[in-house]
Amino acid sequence: MHRLFGKLGTLESRFYLIFTLLFFATILTMQIISTRFTINSLRNSTLENNRLLVNELVNQIDTYIESMERISDAVVEDRDAQVFLESSLPESESSKFLQDRFASYIRARDDISSIVLFRQDGKAISGDGTDSSDFSEYRDSPWYQNALKAEGKTVVSTAYVQNLVPGNYSWVVSLSTQILKPRDKSPQGVLLVDLKFNRIKELCESLVIGEKGYDFIIDPMGNYVYHPSLQLIYSNLKHEPIKNLLPLLENEHPLFRVDGRNYLTAHSERTGWYVVSVSFDSDLVTGWPYVQLMNALIGLVLFLIVGMVTNFITKGITRPLRQLQSVMKSVETGEFRTAGNIDATDEIRELAREYDIMVGRIEELIDENILEQELKRKSDLKALQAQINPHFLYNTLDSIIWMGEMKKSDEVVEMTSALSRLFRIGISKGSELIKLRDELEHVRSYLTIQEMRYKNKFRYLIDIPEELMDCTVLKITLQPLVENAIYHGVRNVDYEGLIEIGGYRENEDIFLTVKDNGEGMDKTTMSALVTEDPERQQGTGVRNVHERIRLYFGHEYGLSYESTIGGGTLIRIHIPGNRSMTT
Amino acid sequence: MKYLIFFIGSLAVALMIFLALTFSFEPGKTDELDLEKPIVVVVKATVAGQPMNFWSVVQQGINEAAKEFGVEVNITGPDHERQINRQVNILNTVIEENPPLIILAASDYYLLAESVGVAEEKGIPVITMDSAVNSPYPVSFIATNNVEAGIKAGNEMNRLLSEGGDGAIAIVSHIRETATAIEREAGVRQALEKQIITGTWYCENDQKIAYGNTMEILKDTSVKGIVALNEIVTLGVAEAIRDSEASNRVKVVGFDSAPQELAFLEEGIIKATVVQRPYNMGYMSVKTAVEYLKGDNIAPLIDTGSVLITAENMFQREYQELLFPVNDE
Repeated sequence: MHRLFGKLGTLESRFYLIFTLLFFATILTMQIISTRFTINSLRNSTLENNRLLVNELVNQIDTYIESMERISDAVVEDRDAQVFLESSLPESESSKFLQDRFASYIRARDDISSIVLFRQDGKAISGDGTDSSDFSEYRDSPWYQNALKAEGKTVVSTAYVQNLVPGNYSWVVSLSTQILKPRDKSPQGVLLVDLKFNRIKELCESLVIGEKGYDFIIDPMGNYVYHPSLQLIYSNLKHEPIKNLLPLLENEHPLFRVDGRNYLTAHSERTGWYVVSVSFDSDLVTGWPYVQLMNALIGLVLFLIVGMVTNFITKGITRPLRQLQSVMKSVETGEFRTAGNIDATDEIRELAREYDIMVGRIEELIDENILEQELKRKSDLKALQAQINPHFLYNTLDSIIWMGEMKKSDEVVEMTSALSRLFRIGISKGSELIKLRDELEHVRSYLTIQEMRYKNKFRYLIDIPEELMDCTVLKITLQPLVENAIYHGVRNVDYEGLIEIGGYRENEDIFLTVKDNGEGMDKTTMSALVTEDPERQQGTGVRNVHERIRLYFGHEYGLSYESTIGGGTLIRIHIPGNRSMTT
Repeated sequence: MKYLIFFIGSLAVALMIFLALTFSFEPGKTDELDLEKPIVVVVKATVAGQPMNFWSVVQQGINEAAKEFGVEVNITGPDHERQINRQVNILNTVIEENPPLIILAASDYYLLAESVGVAEEKGIPVITMDSAVNSPYPVSFIATNNVEAGIKAGNEMNRLLSEGGDGAIAIVSHIRETATAIEREAGVRQALEKQIITGTWYCENDQKIAYGNTMEILKDTSVKGIVALNEIVTLGVAEAIRDSEASNRVKVVGFDSAPQELAFLEEGIIKATVVQRPYNMGYMSVKTAVEYLKGDNIAPLIDTGSVLITAENMFQREYQELLFPVNDE
């Protein structure tokens, strides 16, 4: 679960999920609706056809019964029939004619099973010549009883097994008519026309829908007239929803649906029967699997398209965000890129603009900070530089006083002018950088003073190539080193000291050396020259020079030392060549 | 890559849901069997128009069920019921063709058992119909409860004798080793426990032999009733009774409902006949087969029932289809 949410954490996947689900639900709903619609319209159109079919079936049955009724009517009107009914003779000329006529009807219509005219006294004339005495008892039969009740109207029976003649069983539908005397309406006899039921059965079997469809016929009471599997119904192996159908029969086109079966009913006026056509949904909608497949395919294609569109839209939203993100990442590395004019929606463009403003502001702040740092560094430099002066000035002025007392006026002048030169160059209009020539002048002045103070204690040698003379150096860098060489080098030795100042160019850089042949230093003293240790005053000037160079030119520059006890000291100044700094 | 998997995944889910939903909307959904080969029914006799009209009605029921359940059914069998060896050969051929299921109406309780064993070895399910076979293998037996039918015949004979005075009873059976004959006789004897039964005659399912048997029986004047155990026997007995004009002296209770038998019934030569429901038998055998092949639970024994038909009730509406099948002329 956690993992899943983790994966869905990105805007892209969330968008994707939401869009997909939304569209999926929409497409699905539409599919379901269209599927239902398709089914219904398919079903309705097939049911409409079915309806036509049932009506056609009823029409055919009616037409058929009608044609039989005409025969029945013809017999009733027949003069010979009248004669036969009115006579009481067992046999007569007219009965012979009548029998021939019946026989010809039966020959002409192979669907007529029999035509029999029963007289009140039991005497009968049959188309097939059956003798009256051969008939089984018929007066209780439904067809006879119903004919009496109908009083002259033709009655159509249900389908049944006629057993008028013993041992002779045939499925028939009977048309029976009571014949009344035209004068006083007294009963004269009953005419029976038996139709072979096969004809109706064939009609029912021929007009069915689909592979499984079938028709059955019920009378208005719900009794079966015909059903293809009546035995199963009487054995309770099959059921028809007759109870549900009966109340519907009054409607014009009753339709009853149950379990995927459609019961359509049509009424036969002639017979009073209801023909029920049963069709199965599985038969009705034959192209259904195809429709389903098409629906599924359409749904899938839509879903694919939606997926791609979603992908496109999502990417459109997230791409500028990612661009912005990569721009922001660059800040981490110290590179201040701006987003500029991103191709995106207003919100994101706004965001990018705000971001750019922010970055601009940060850059300003950083610049300010650098400037401040610079100022601070300069003030630091000044502070370091300022530390040089007091001891020396004090000592020099002491020396001048001492020489003045000794009335050595020439020397006083020389030293004082040297001191004056020293300060002039030291001030040098406030500039931090001076030409090497001037710096040398400065150190020479200093050495002049010191030489006078330490008479015959040391001598010095300045040997720098002329080409370096115009190079700019940080001012007052050599003097502290020379001072160091005097105080910690040559001052304390028995022999005459020598201070050599040299210089050379190596690649772009310039190296200035101050070498003495004094007592030298051990490692700890040497390291004290560079590391800051407030406890030890020794070498403050040298360290300041080192700090200043590094502050001004960078950490790769500065001083380096070579020294051994008794072997003198070499200090090397490493500065960039031709650095034109105006500050 | 992650999105691709996500995309394909959701696509697959969508496809499944689409298919599931659309296919669940199938109207009039039918979970019909889809069989590669037809179910085979081996009946006892196939020749239509023979006295064994019983089997043509069975076939109607079979065809009705085949149509209703949407399965293909082949019906095969010997021309006549007495051709037992022929039926064995037919069954063996059918087994070689590996049908999904065999419905068998065994002409002989013992002689077909071996072939049913072969079907068992090949894993072909067998349903027996009408007459059982000496094997526990068949998954269901669809038949008239013949003992019950025999009891019905016996009870009717009891009633008839109580009307017209006591007397002995003879039984004419069709084939000695057929389950139907054995069971019906047992039922008849069970119902007629208190009566004298002179014996059982066997006619090899031949109408002429039955006729001869009856003539033999009639010589014994103490015999007041004959129970005939199937259609052919009933017709043979009835003809003998008619020819010797003994219908008042000897009451006949038969089996089955051939048109000729019904005529005899109407004439009063036969007093009653126990009628099976061959249509239902054919229908139920296929229905049960379909249910079995679908994996449904099926009953090991299905009684398709029998009806006692007399001259009084033979024209009742509910028996008309049973007694007088509507033939396609």
